[in-house]
Amino acid sequence: MAVDALASAPGSRRVWITPGRRMWIVSVVLALICCVWVYPLVWMFSASLKSNGEIFGNTGLIPAQPSFDNYVRAWNEAHISDYFFNTLFVTVGSVVIVTIASAMMGYVLGRRRFPGRAIIFGLLVFTLFVPQGYTIIPVFELLSMLGLSQSLWGLVLATSGGSFVIFVLLFAGYFSQMPNELEEAAKMDGVGFVRTFIFVMLPLSRPIIVTVVVMQTLYAWNDFLLPLVVTLANPAIRTLSVGVYAFRGENFVDWGGMTAASTITILPIVILFLLLQRYFIDGLAGAVKG
Amino acid sequence: MPGVSLKNVKKRYGTTEVIRGVDIDIEPGEFCVFVGPSGCGKSTLLRMIAGLEEISDGEISIDDQRVNEIDPSRRGVAMVFQTYALYPHMTVEQNMGFGLRMNGVPRAEVAARVATAAKILQIEELVSRKPRQLSGGQRQRVAIGRAIVRNPQVFLFDEPLSNLDAELRVATRVEIAKLHRELAGATMVYVTHDQVEAMTLADKIVVLRAGRVEQVGAPMDLYQSPANTFVAGFIGSPKMNFLELAPASEGQHALKDGTTITLAGAGGEPSTLGIRADQLRRVAPDAADIVGEVSVVERLGDSEFAYVRTRWGQEVIARFEGGANIAAGEPIGLALSGRTHFFDRDGKAITGLSLAGSNQ
Repeated sequence: MAVDALASAPGSRRVWITPGRRMWIVSVVLALICCVWVYPLVWMFSASLKSNGEIFGNTGLIPAQPSFDNYVRAWNEAHISDYFFNTLFVTVGSVVIVTIASAMMGYVLGRRRFPGRAIIFGLLVFTLFVPQGYTIIPVFELLSMLGLSQSLWGLVLATSGGSFVIFVLLFAGYFSQMPNELEEAAKMDGVGFVRTFIFVMLPLSRPIIVTVVVMQTLYAWNDFLLPLVVTLANPAIRTLSVGVYAFRGENFVDWGGMTAASTITILPIVILFLLLQRYFIDGLAGAVKG
Repeated sequence: MPGVSLKNVKKRYGTTEVIRGVDIDIEPGEFCVFVGPSGCGKSTLLRMIAGLEEISDGEISIDDQRVNEIDPSRRGVAMVFQTYALYPHMTVEQNMGFGLRMNGVPRAEVAARVATAAKILQIEELVSRKPRQLSGGQRQRVAIGRAIVRNPQVFLFDEPLSNLDAELRVATRVEIAKLHRELAGATMVYVTHDQVEAMTLADKIVVLRAGRVEQVGAPMDLYQSPANTFVAGFIGSPKMNFLELAPASEGQHALKDGTTITLAGAGGEPSTLGIRADQLRRVAPDAADIVGEVSVVERLGDSEFAYVRTRWGQEVIARFEGGANIAAGEPIGLALSGRTHFFDRDGKAITGLSLAGSNQ
């Protein structure tokens, strides 16, 4: 009776999609999309626990006799352990270089007016449009000239170039929004240019630093083409992504080993994201806003 | 020996001259306020003293030493910014001691100086907080504290109260006045567009307009004998009333509606009469110099301001004691009395003229 009264009250209508139901519908749709998205990863993990025979036996996602043989084989025989540490070295090295260099460059570009600034900005933005494939040969040439074409240091250096420009622009945008008074206050305090950057500006750009660290980590960890080219002549310095590719033999593909290696490869990234996702999202939001 | 001295100081941005030859002498220990409408160059002038803006021409000296080419931190000045400019990631303590620490002052001495400044400003319990955990007034104190720890000869304040709400502004104004007394010997240069701040704080006011000094003097000197119509209109609240005068017969001048007034003395040909709201007296309309109708009344409790529309359409403000109960729409007669000011055609004050009496 009360419901009838409500329904017939002027201006009110019987609404089927209440906010609660709407949330249910949205959740179900998102869950379905999520399943499609996650399936390859689940399949990969499942296959990594199966023997090569079972993978092609099409026995469903749950392995009949799960074993870690693939992992042991990949880690020891296929040198995935070496590749893992190579990748770690390249990632950490390039993150350190990129964060320091892009912050410094972004600071100068974002806060100083000097002749040629617009040209430098223009050139930087232009390089964003050049596909990686075109730069690989000159980059390799450069490394050869520096005598670094067959060393991990060379790979670190080359990997640092990947998204450098985007990070510089992120920092420049952020620093240019900072109030002038902060620098002026430091100047009145007798603090010089470099120390103002290190002690005042850099700590304030933490959201951007986190974003850059995470994005460069993802890029360096997952990059394939550049390490493939640089490590062609020296398999000992392969990174994980290249190492996984090496499971494709001439006549035989070791799917079990490959999926195990792939799982090892993506695990650190997934863990990193779970730990840093809040900062990462904050940083991106901050970058867009500021 | 002036604390701060500016000699023919100029500032150009390209071809635009924003400071056009300014001469000011500020005595040691003096509280000097630069006041003027926005865009008059008062902040630029302060930033030139601070060393944040280059000096295009002229000379600035502090404590008898030319500082034109000296680095801001070596001029013996400290600045308090309008936006406070506290370092957001540092605690109050770190904010105040940052400059000292960066310049190699021993840790113990930094701590001692910060503690002293915190005590003066009564922010001792806030020293471990970050700026975002402070209210506007507290941030302002920290910004002042950062200036105090540097032990400067000259404090520079750039509109320090304009980001505070009205109530806090009055309270902080009083605090700054106390601080000046407490830090005896410290010269303070203070920029504001608010003439009330200028009147209440200053030992010496410098009124600026369009990059030029209009008048320099003690607050009451400017109030009682403004050098021109600009200063007369800018200093004092409400604004001084300006009435146009035309020469009538010998020794007499006429207001716009033909009412004549008689002037005594000599000194020039007045074209404007200035009179403050509190010098207008209410009289019967037939004995009045100005007859009009009250259009708005502002009641402030202790006083009432009546906006009187004259016969020639000008609004004149008159002050009455609280409780006078002037009503809007009421016809009213006002007599000129007390101190009047006369200005010539160029707006310059004419001294030596006064009101001899008035008649219809």
